[in-house]
Amino acid sequence: MKLKGQHNFKTTPDVLWDKLMDADTLARITPGVSRLDSKGEDIYEAIADVKLGPVKGSFKGELSVLEKLEPESFILNIKQNSKIGNVSAEVHIFLKPITEEETEMSFDGKAKLSGLLARTGQRVLSGVANTLSKQFFSAMEEEVSNASLS
Amino acid sequence: MTYIGKSVKRVEDKRFLTGKGRYTDDIVLPGMTYACIIRSPYAHAKITGIDTSAAEGMEGVVAIFTGKDIAAAGVNGVPCGWQVNFKNGDTMKEPPHPLLVADVVKHVGDNVAMVIAESREIAKDAAEMVEIDYEELDAVANAAKAVKDGAPQVHPDAPGNLCFDWELGNPKEEVDAAMDAAHHITKLDFTNQRLIPNAIEPRSAIGHYESAGDKYTLYTTSQNPHLTRLLISAFVLGIPEHRVRVVAPDVGGGFGSKIFHYTEEALVVWASKQINRPIKWTAERSESFMTDAHGRDHVTTAEMGFDAEGNIVGLRVNTLANLGAYLSTFAPCVPTWLHGTLLQGLYTTPKINVDVTGVFTHTTPVDAYRGAGRPEATYLLERLLDTAALEMNMDPAELRLKNFIPPFDGVEQEGYATQVALQYDSGNYHRVLERALEMVGYDDFRKEQAEARANGKYLGIGFSTYIEACGIAPSAVVGALGARAGLYEVGQVRVQPTGKVSVYTGAHSHGQGHETTFAQVVADKFGIALDDVEIVHGDSESVAFGMGTYGSRSLAVGGSAIIKSIEKVLEKGAKIAAHKLEAAEGDLEFAEGKWTVKGTDKSIGFGDVALTAYVPHDYPEGLEPGMDFSSFYDPANFTYPFGAHIAIVEVDKDTGSVKLKRFIAVDDVGNVINPMIVDGQIHGGVAQGIGQALFEGAIYDENAQLINGSYMDYTMPRADDLPAFEIDRTVTPCPHNPLGVKGAGEAGAIGSTPAVVNAVMDALSPFGVKNLEMPLTPERVWRAMQ
Repeated sequence: MKLKGQHNFKTTPDVLWDKLMDADTLARITPGVSRLDSKGEDIYEAIADVKLGPVKGSFKGELSVLEKLEPESFILNIKQNSKIGNVSAEVHIFLKPITEEETEMSFDGKAKLSGLLARTGQRVLSGVANTLSKQFFSAMEEEVSNASLS
Repeated sequence: MTYIGKSVKRVEDKRFLTGKGRYTDDIVLPGMTYACIIRSPYAHAKITGIDTSAAEGMEGVVAIFTGKDIAAAGVNGVPCGWQVNFKNGDTMKEPPHPLLVADVVKHVGDNVAMVIAESREIAKDAAEMVEIDYEELDAVANAAKAVKDGAPQVHPDAPGNLCFDWELGNPKEEVDAAMDAAHHITKLDFTNQRLIPNAIEPRSAIGHYESAGDKYTLYTTSQNPHLTRLLISAFVLGIPEHRVRVVAPDVGGGFGSKIFHYTEEALVVWASKQINRPIKWTAERSESFMTDAHGRDHVTTAEMGFDAEGNIVGLRVNTLANLGAYLSTFAPCVPTWLHGTLLQGLYTTPKINVDVTGVFTHTTPVDAYRGAGRPEATYLLERLLDTAALEMNMDPAELRLKNFIPPFDGVEQEGYATQVALQYDSGNYHRVLERALEMVGYDDFRKEQAEARANGKYLGIGFSTYIEACGIAPSAVVGALGARAGLYEVGQVRVQPTGKVSVYTGAHSHGQGHETTFAQVVADKFGIALDDVEIVHGDSESVAFGMGTYGSRSLAVGGSAIIKSIEKVLEKGAKIAAHKLEAAEGDLEFAEGKWTVKGTDKSIGFGDVALTAYVPHDYPEGLEPGMDFSSFYDPANFTYPFGAHIAIVEVDKDTGSVKLKRFIAVDDVGNVINPMIVDGQIHGGVAQGIGQALFEGAIYDENAQLINGSYMDYTMPRADDLPAFEIDRTVTPCPHNPLGVKGAGEAGAIGSTPAVVNAVMDALSPFGVKNLEMPLTPERVWRAMQ
């Protein structure tokens, strides 16, 4: 399954970059994620509850950040396992300044699903992924505007 | 009272409709435990670790077994029952199919571990606590991709993912020459998509080991319990047959998927001995989607050559058959001997060559599903015929009539020898198509269609004239073709002392109504009431042997075995009657339940003769007491039902949705014992065939994940998708079995699919659309119209 999306933020790439590299922030704003613990340099253990159309699951696994090019891009590698199937994904994330006060964040990647997740969720999945990324973006927007207020 | 030919209401329906049916999952034994099979979420992966400790510690967990336990116990995998060799003579590749996989899983749903607990719920919860680490590997689901260089390999000992390659018919050069000389060649490339059987009752198995007698009982959802017993005993577990009893109680549909011996059956039997308690496993619907053997899945290129007058001069077929990850019980036979042999169809095609390659992929095993090979053959031929008619600007009905084999009854005229190994028994193909054309009002329809088109409405008519080979099968013939079993049937007739009759048949109803149809035959032959006949089936302890129900064989083969025993009863009865009536046997006639001395009113009834056989005081000298006969019937040939199906559709030009407006089916299944039951079989088969044309199809993604494994995603035909079917019959009796019957179970599913697709193509002809892949979903049709 292809993952693709983009959103413009009223901030600089540096601010966004810091937010994206901060485990506490991410744990707070990523839909479904309840815990994100650092397991070493750029490796995190994540616990998430996600509802995908007809299937609902508790996921546990690793996130790792690769090929960091501050503050322009990085690759997020996701491996999440659950009783209803496993997800593995590699997503390339780009931060591109549009103006001095505006930055476009975009992502492009692929996810592989297995098990019940693949069997019954796939059909509705791109819709769900869209919704989740929108939720993420709007939560991030709030973070960013809070940051500029403080 | 005669019963044959009457629509007697089904005896078994009383219990089915009042909730009194007894299915495998209804059975509860004292001390029963419940199994949950942990299945691979990946299509291809190496198992790098299994941690069962957390699950083992849970209250109520009895035992957990993994592939290592099975390997350590030296338990074999499930075998394949049919061998098809490579063209060069090499034996087909037959990789092991372990009960639980120890190293590399090969399809989504492959068995990895079995958790046994005090309840189903605990077993399921504990299964979730088993930690399994996998290293995911590349996988391939599509047969055409699997044979390409560099494709992921399913089995190390099957290079190129090849299981066998095979050809049948006239030498390739002769067919090529005929095609080169053809005036016109019609060519189609298509996929006959993979279908999931979807029996109402999910598979279930109970293993029960009793140490007292060192006996094993397996209750299972099987279409042929005796074969399952044979395979478990001789190949998988090595338990002597007399210590294994297999019971298949009421079975809620199978469509082929319950013919085969499945890993779960052997697992519960084996594990029951390990824990010394009975174990029940019942599939959840999701498991049915993943693990019931699937059907079809052919990638085919087919070409038919014609001369300038429209006579068929040659047929050339290349098929890649997807067999899945392992060989299911009859898998190799389906795309070969049940497919290639049917490519003569109803036509006089003089040169035919068919080439089939069996391919392994990382998918659920594929095997026989209603029609099994014959729907694929019929689809191929009938799509070619309608497409050729369009291309040559000929009428599709006339093109068929022109090429039909002339009528032959198999008695006065010989059977028809095809180019592809079979000898048809009897047929009158013109008659079924002419009757169907009359029913549809063909000339009027073409006028209506032209008017509708002028008004922007797209109507289409599609034809399909099919033949099938069923009544499976002469043992020596199938043995020569690679079958590892005989395909006779057993019928035992036990006349009780009071004249009531118990019949034991090796055929096993999973919805066909054997308890009614067989009883009609027996009651008529003995001149007794239907109520006085009991049909017993599905238990290896009471039925001597059997080959089960599939391939539309039960009445043609199983019924004939019963007839043989009936004849033995009547022969012995005549001896007893002659003695009692003090007459010569030759002077007696048997009718309406009694033996009468011809030309007199002296007679003795069936019941009195039966009683005499069991109380042999005044009895013929040297004659054994009792009245109990068993017979094996091995058919002389397959039977060859045929028919003509016509579909009329309307395609909505805005949405692409296809509305099936009329469906006409004229079938010839030989003599008919119970017309209502035969009608029901035709209706069900037609609905399933329509399902393939318009709705159904398993979809695997690029990682070989089955992505429509639920009823939310896999479309089944519903009642409101179907018109009221218009059906009729002609009767061309089978010349080689005593009842003259041919079989009706698969006919509907074989004939209907191409009729519907042809009708849609006819409707789309103004758009220049000639070929679309099934199922013809609104999206596919709409895109084609743009």
